[in-house]
Amino acid sequence: MSLSPVRRVPAFVPLVLALSATVAAGPLAAAPASPDKLPVTRIRDLSYGDALFYFHQGESFESLTRLAAYSQWGRVPNHEAEAQLLLGGLYLELGLHNEAGERFEKLLTAEVPLAVRNRAWFYLAKVWYVRGYDDRAEQAVRKLAGVLPAELESERMHLLSNVLMRQGRFAEAADLLDGWQGPQDWAAFARFNLGAALIRDNQLDVAARYLNAVGALESEDPELLALRDRANLTLGLAYLQASEAASAKPVLQRVRLDGSYANRALLGAGWAEAELGDYRAALTPWLELKDRSLLDAAVQESFLAVPYAFAKLEAPAQAAEYYESAMQSFTAERERIAQSIERIRNGGLLDGILAREATGGSYGWFWQLKDLPEAPESRYLYTVLAGHDFQEGLKNYRDIVYLETTLDRWSGDFDAYRSMIDTREKAFAARLPRTDALLEQGGVESLGRRRDALESRLNGVEADRDVAALGTTEQREQWARIQRAEQALEAEPAGEDTDALRKRLRLVKGALSWRLAENYRASMFGQRRALREVDGLMRETQDRWERLGRARASAPANTGEFGQRLDASRERLTAMQARLAAAKLRQNQYLAQIAIDELNLQKERLDAYQVQARFALAAIYDRAAAPAPKPAPQFPGPEAPDVDGQRANGGRP
Amino acid sequence: MRNRKTSISARRSVPRIRVADPARQGRWLTALTMAVVAAVLALGGLGARAQGAAVPTAEPPAEAAATDTRGIDEETQQLKKDAIDLNRELFMLEEELLFPANTQVAVFVSMDVGEFFALDSVQMKVDDREVANYLYTEREAEALLKGGVHRVYLGNLKVGEHELVAIFTGKGPNQRDYRRGATMKFVKAVGAKYLELKITDRQRRAQPEFEIKDWE
Amino acid sequence: MALACLALYAIVSAPGDARAAEPSLVGAPAPDFVLRSAAGSNLRLSEQRGDVVVLSFWSSRCNVCRAQLAELDRLYATYRPAGFVVLGVNVDDDVTAAREFAAGQKLQFPLLFDPTKAVARAYRVDALPMLVAVDRFGAVRFLSRNDKPGAAAEYVPALRALIDE
Repeated sequence: MSLSPVRRVPAFVPLVLALSATVAAGPLAAAPASPDKLPVTRIRDLSYGDALFYFHQGESFESLTRLAAYSQWGRVPNHEAEAQLLLGGLYLELGLHNEAGERFEKLLTAEVPLAVRNRAWFYLAKVWYVRGYDDRAEQAVRKLAGVLPAELESERMHLLSNVLMRQGRFAEAADLLDGWQGPQDWAAFARFNLGAALIRDNQLDVAARYLNAVGALESEDPELLALRDRANLTLGLAYLQASEAASAKPVLQRVRLDGSYANRALLGAGWAEAELGDYRAALTPWLELKDRSLLDAAVQESFLAVPYAFAKLEAPAQAAEYYESAMQSFTAERERIAQSIERIRNGGLLDGILAREATGGSYGWFWQLKDLPEAPESRYLYTVLAGHDFQEGLKNYRDIVYLETTLDRWSGDFDAYRSMIDTREKAFAARLPRTDALLEQGGVESLGRRRDALESRLNGVEADRDVAALGTTEQREQWARIQRAEQALEAEPAGEDTDALRKRLRLVKGALSWRLAENYRASMFGQRRALREVDGLMRETQDRWERLGRARASAPANTGEFGQRLDASRERLTAMQARLAAAKLRQNQYLAQIAIDELNLQKERLDAYQVQARFALAAIYDRAAAPAPKPAPQFPGPEAPDVDGQRANGGRP
Repeated sequence: MRNRKTSISARRSVPRIRVADPARQGRWLTALTMAVVAAVLALGGLGARAQGAAVPTAEPPAEAAATDTRGIDEETQQLKKDAIDLNRELFMLEEELLFPANTQVAVFVSMDVGEFFALDSVQMKVDDREVANYLYTEREAEALLKGGVHRVYLGNLKVGEHELVAIFTGKGPNQRDYRRGATMKFVKAVGAKYLELKITDRQRRAQPEFEIKDWE
Repeated sequence: MALACLALYAIVSAPGDARAAEPSLVGAPAPDFVLRSAAGSNLRLSEQRGDVVVLSFWSSRCNVCRAQLAELDRLYATYRPAGFVVLGVNVDDDVTAAREFAAGQKLQFPLLFDPTKAVARAYRVDALPMLVAVDRFGAVRFLSRNDKPGAAAEYVPALRALIDE
């Protein structure tokens, strides 16, 4: 059977070449971990310290709840600016950019200390960058006056360079990086991003400068080593794509054989050799690759690349063998993938993965999935699960579950609160009439009036020096009788008897006067003191009176209003739980769809490879069946269109 | 080479799902390479911890095809915000209900030590009745060292004079055990009362003591 | 052992305890607690969120408990890297007896002391040994009161399922 493809066979596309473009494309490289520390402050409001207590333990949600509550209650007057900063940071960490932005914007006034303002600008820049407002982000970064602490400074440079790159202002980004003096780890990531962006922009030479810089760096840090590999891989693939295989070779060889980028580098190295015509040399990395796990797309491609090389080396028998074994492996893998898809459709896999968290006790927005469970499906989903879409979706899912469990806690308490409010209501109801009656009497006021009257009497006595007024009852009676007698005697005509009487009366009066005068000072003192004691009592009474009045006034708030708030909250809670459950379900489906889509892609890729293998194999059998002197390179290869012209002489041993 | 790639991409780009991350630039990526791209990104992502601003998670509004994902994402964000707000309302309601300002008394624990000190526990009695007996985990003790303040007790007390007795235990440098106490009489007037139990070695270094501060 | 269980029951239950009417522990968030550990530090349950946690309530006078603790120690060694934590909660009145026992056993996982039995009450422990499995989100997933040898066969698969989650 002669081979004449009915339709154009999907060519054997070296994955690698397409790779080179895509490795450069895609989200910018990650940055090194950088835990942010708040400026150390002296605690002047205990409640602010309370919020910090939870923040330092990584309990962002708890910290946020408390700080927002304390702020609303007005309990952090001495930490207004810092509280807004912390709140903003917590909102940012919990994924609520808008809220975060609002908080930071409030801090941009002159009254706020410069250090805090700078941080606010910095976070705002982050927020805007994340939301895609590049120009605003850039403005914010440039608004920072002075210098931030070292780690934030690096991050600022990194952020600025990202913003510039996203706007396509590569030259400026390059200048920024060239002039960078600070710690090098952020700079390395920024350089990688720049190099990748320049590749996308078709500026390979310039890109090479930066990628080579990263590709040659020395470090012990595993993150940086991985970045180095990635930079070399990116550059190497870019060279391949630009048909500069000779430049690609040494760069690709710099990639570590045991790193995560090794497979693609091996594949690329092979294609570099192939492009230079040395298929025997290409076999070395490809055979190495072929022994690795079939899950990796690069390895899958090697299954086809190896027999391709053998075919090029005029060893059709071996090529055929390899093609056949490749087809078997592909079929088996494909079957496994199909099963996994089924399992996901039935909800199995995802529930497992979603429940499994490696958090270290905290939850938040910057959390990343580190380990994957041992389920059979997870092998295929390495790439998906670690992919950006899935990560974000997973974070949201996790947040929802966390909120659910937190809110669930409250619903248990509602009944208790209800009964507490009811009890209070009853207590109040019982006491209200009494309270009202008492308040009606205006007891305290009348007491006050009486006290005042007494005081003015005393003052009058003092002014008049009315010693008699301060005597004892007995004395006052005596005095009164004396005065009455005096008056009576006045009326009588003078005479011996009356004279004697008058004299006696004068003596008695004198004695009494003297006694009264003697006691006057002490008495006055005593009366004043008594008055002060009365005042003391009055104050206490006044306090109690006011408290009672307040309690009475707030009775509707204490009970009725509380009851309303409670009921309203209970309703909101129930509604919220329903929304959360629905969101969870939606998120679950969304994530499942991502996973299924990815698996479908993998399946299709295997199908495509399967087809290629089949055709290549058929071509080999064809040739074997009808030996022709000239090997017409009919089997698919990357250079198929110009294979006759340029590559035909390649690879002949 | 380029032809083939373009033809493949022309064929493959159609079924690409709308759930694509809008932030990824170049949606012309071929399906064949998507998985590998994801792998590359994944490995980049795995290496990152606090990506923060480095990874955009929301595309500028111009990207129309992103509606699906952004719909869900925005809705989730709104949901998160509402749930957080509700949680705060409940927190406030609970405290106002259980500990109204007039009778509220709050006691806080703070640490200000120069030398290392591992706080183990704090016990408190008010008017001879035990009201708090808190065991501190390492994580919590760290948070105190970093400047956090722990609200160890929140209760209701009548107006008037009360007595607070507090004891803390812990280990200092050289595994030495510490147990110190402090006592204070305070007057509860109208309005919330705050007291701070300060563990401090300001008097003598490496000798933590208890100070009680009354925040009038 | 029966005596110990009865004694525990007497301590843990209160007169008029309408346990049947209480909502089930399973499916609900695990009551949080903090206890002293044999190693000297204090350990709080909620700080283990993210790992699967097994609480094993035991007493030094309960022989079957030893077997469960030993079995759990093996599981702990195997699954710890996957995010699996065992907490042995001792409910003896006398902590010293428990410490001696602990020293003798050489268990790798933390042993916690609950002499006031506040935690035991919160988890409604009415017999020993009792095992409580908490998932990574902090919810109680299942209990095991089986004191027969070979009880492990019953709960180990369930635990593995939780770990795989």
